[in-house]
Formats: sequence, structure tokens, C-alpha cells
Amino acid sequence: MLNIMAISLKGIFRDRIFQGIMGLAVLFLFIPSAASLSMRQVTELSITLSLSLISFIMLLLAVFLGATSIWKDIERRYTYSILSLPLSRTAYLLGRFLGIALFMLLTALFLGGVAMLAIKVASVLYPPARPVLWIAVLASILYGTLKYILLVAVSMLLATVSTSFFLPVFGTICTYLAGSITQQVYDYLHTPAAVKAISPIMKQAALFFYYLLPNLSAFDLKVNAIYALPLNASGLLMTALYFIVYTSVLLAAGAILLGRREMK
Amino acid sequence: MNRVLRPSVVMLLSLACYGVLLGPFCAYMKQKPVEEKLGYVPSATLLRYLATDQKEFVAASLVMKTVMYYGGIAEKQQTNVVVAPPDLPAMSRLLHGAVKLDPYNMDAYYFAQSFLTWDAKQYKLANNLMDYGMKYRTWDWYLPFFAGFNSAYFLKDYSAAARYYQKAGELSGSDLSRLLAGRYLQESGQTGLAIAYLTVMEKGETNEAMKRNYHIRLTAFREVHRIEVARDRFKEAKGIVPTTVEQLILGGFLVPPPVDPYGGTFYLEPDGKVATTSKFAFAGVKNEKRQHTGE
Repeated sequence: MLNIMAISLKGIFRDRIFQGIMGLAVLFLFIPSAASLSMRQVTELSITLSLSLISFIMLLLAVFLGATSIWKDIERRYTYSILSLPLSRTAYLLGRFLGIALFMLLTALFLGGVAMLAIKVASVLYPPARPVLWIAVLASILYGTLKYILLVAVSMLLATVSTSFFLPVFGTICTYLAGSITQQVYDYLHTPAAVKAISPIMKQAALFFYYLLPNLSAFDLKVNAIYALPLNASGLLMTALYFIVYTSVLLAAGAILLGRREMK
Repeated sequence: MNRVLRPSVVMLLSLACYGVLLGPFCAYMKQKPVEEKLGYVPSATLLRYLATDQKEFVAASLVMKTVMYYGGIAEKQQTNVVVAPPDLPAMSRLLHGAVKLDPYNMDAYYFAQSFLTWDAKQYKLANNLMDYGMKYRTWDWYLPFFAGFNSAYFLKDYSAAARYYQKAGELSGSDLSRLLAGRYLQESGQTGLAIAYLTVMEKGETNEAMKRNYHIRLTAFREVHRIEVARDRFKEAKGIVPTTVEQLILGGFLVPPPVDPYGGTFYLEPDGKVATTSKFAFAGVKNEKRQHTGE
């Protein structure tokens, strides 16, 4: 499994994805000057832009790396040679997942470092009304990364049953969109207006999807990072546990489906 | 040879076409209707769903779009270029959408305070927005400071003003707000309050167009203050209330003569209050000229 993880990581670096990310990281240089357009919250805007850029890059990585790795192996028939080795399909899936997850962590580390430099420059040039809460910035980057690693698990689960590139890619994008709003839908369903407007069947269906889909809004700590709002330690712990449990369920389901898949 | 020559010719032709198209295309974009330039914004509820985890970024984009749009018009007005007045309701819609997405966004409150009061004259709407912001930005003294000024200066609600200024004073740890509240509660020194408020606004402003806007307004209010002082001295010396600004100038009470930076002319209302034909806006002078020419 560790070998597959190392091979996956090497493969990603060989595909020059990291060079592409380094190219995109140039955009961080422009963040302090772009944020200076703000009238009253230059540092806050530089944090917003930095975190949004990281989030966007990580989303692209999660969708494309997660969706293509297994699908590419099956399509190019690499799986025949890999699975002929003394290696279980589960170990292969986990190795692939851990390789991508490690790459995403390294990317987050790199982008986070550059972003924090850009934020520091902005905060020195335009001191904010409230000092930057660096721990919240770090937590926001870390939890954002966990969210996208969870999405990698979603895309890999879809890739284990898919025969084409489309289901994992579009399925992951749809999960990302739906997972980002499930909490808002849930909150809406509990308002007096929704009680009158939504039929009980619709409400039950919405609740079913609320519990089924990943709740990605829990990982969004941008507002804490941008406006230096205190973090909720027990909430963070709960979210970390949620990540571990949900990702484990996805990977276990993926391993079962890959194990049952006919590869001839 | 053909493999390089043909694409090169096509590329050169395409570049030439691009050069030809660029002029009319830019002209078309420049004269696009305001609604298209500011863009249609779906309801804030829908935007919250569409923005996924980029709510703060979308909110900042909406604010920036509004600031750029207004800044462009303000700059033209300041250089006496005739332009259509800004679409204030559309700007208000955008900023309200922005704070629904990110209720902490200070730029949105600050900019809304600027144009909803002086330009759009929507004082209650501005204060409702400040009240909304105060629920989130609990540490920020600017929001109660703005609301206090609006209550006192525009809405003449002195008890609300005192309440807001008290809150601003507690948050800022400075006596400025309490001082302003006290002055306004006496129902005197309205111009003084406006000058104090605008000085604070100008000092903290980083956007050049907005800073110039505040500076011009501050200059106008300083001129008003000079006229008020001269009016009171005239009344004290002669025992009668002056009816025109010219009386003050001729009597040597007002040297040099006041200049309205908006291009209008100062005059005294029947109750002695100082007013200007510009109504403290570049648009005011244009409207006046239009009325004179019978347009």
C-alpha cells in the first residue's frame, strides 16, 4: 500500500501538476495590491482572496486527481499488471487515495505558506482594525484541505463503479455543490416559513440527503480567518472526527465495489 | 514551409481583425446600460446557495463592482464631465446582497453609508443596514458612529443618536462620539457635527475617489460654517438677520467670499439657514442649469 502511495505521489509530480500549481501561486503576489482597492478592510480582503484562491486550486485538484487516477489505470489497463502483484484491491485503492491526499497536503502547505506571506505583507502595509488571527487562518487552510481530501474519496468511490471519466468528475462537482448547501437547506427546513411551504414528503427527502451527503460547510472556517473570529475547539474536534468517519465509510464502500468489479 | 507559413498568415490576419474589432468592442462595453454594467444580481437567498464556500469572495466582488462603478462616475463628475447620475437603487441592491452573503464585510457598510445618505437620501434604509451590521461586527465603533450621525443629522432623532453615539464611544474608547452626541442633543452646531463626521471619514479613507469626495464635501461644509459665523456676527453687530450672503461680503463679515466646490452658489434661506444651489452635489448644479435653460 505504501508503495502504491509513493508511486501515486511520484506520478502526480511527474505529470508536472505541482509546477502548474507553482505557476498559479504567482497570483498570490498580486493579492496585496488587488486588496488595496478595499476601502476599509485591505487585510481582510487579502485573506479572502488568498483563501478563495487556495480553495479553488484544491477543488480542481480534488476533482481531477481523484476522478482520473483509478479510471486512468483501468482505461490504460495498468490495473492488470498492478493487481497481478501480491496486493489486494483495497490496498491499491487506499494507496492511490493516500498518495493523492499526501499531495494535497503538500500543496496546501506550499500554498498556505505563500498565502500567509501575502497576508503578512498586506497587514504590514495596511494594518487591520483587529490583528490577524493566524491560528484561524491556519485552521481554515487545514480544514479546507480536509474537505477536499474528503471529496477525493467521493470521486474515487465514483471511479470504482464508473466506466467513463464523466461520472467521477461531474459526480464530484455535484457532491461539492450539494454538500456545500445542505446545512443551509437544513436550517431553512426548520424555519416557520418552510414548515408551511414544504410538504412533509419533500422535507423527509431533503433530510435524507442532508444525512447522506457530506456536510462540507462544517469545514468552511473562512469567516473566522478573515474577521479574526474565535474558533470553536469542540466544533473543530467534531468536524475532524466527522472527516475521519465519513472518509472511512467512502473508502470502505469504494473497496467493496472495486473488489466486486469485473476487470477482464 | 507551408506548415509554418499558413498558420502564421492566419495568426497575423486574426491579430489584424482583433485590432480592428477592439475599438468598437470597447466602445460598446463603455456605453453598456447601467443594469448590464452592474449586472443583475439574483436574490440574496439564491446567491447564498450558489456561492457555496466562496460567499466572502462573492460578497467582496459585489462590493468592488459597486465601488468601481461609482468611483468611475464620481471621477468624471469631479472633472466636470457630463455623465448620467449613478444608479443608486441598483448599487443599494448589490450592497444589500453582499451583506447577506458576508454580514461582516465592512466595505459594504461603509460604502452604503456614504451614498445611501448624502446621495440617495435613504436615511432609514442606511440605519437599518447599520443595525444589521452591528449584530455581527460587535467590536466595530464605526457602525454606531454612522448610525448616530444619520439619526442626529438627517433624521433629527436625537435620543436614538445619543444611544448610538454612546455605543460608539464605549467601543472606540474615545470621547469623540459622546462629544458629538452632546453637541447635537443641544440642537445646535449641525454644520460642526457634519465637519467632525466628515473629517473622521476623510482621514480613514484609502480609496482615492472616495477621499476626494469627502474632501470636497468637507470643504463645502467648512464654507457653510464660515457663512454661519459671519451671519451670527452680522446679527450681533446690526441687530437684524441678514437676508443674503452678499450683505455679509459687502459688510466685511465674510472675507474672502465663499466658494461652493460643487459649483453652486450659497444663499440664505428665510429662516437664516445657509443653503447652496448645488445641494452639495455635482448633479445639483447640472439640474439647476437644466432648469435655467428650460430643458
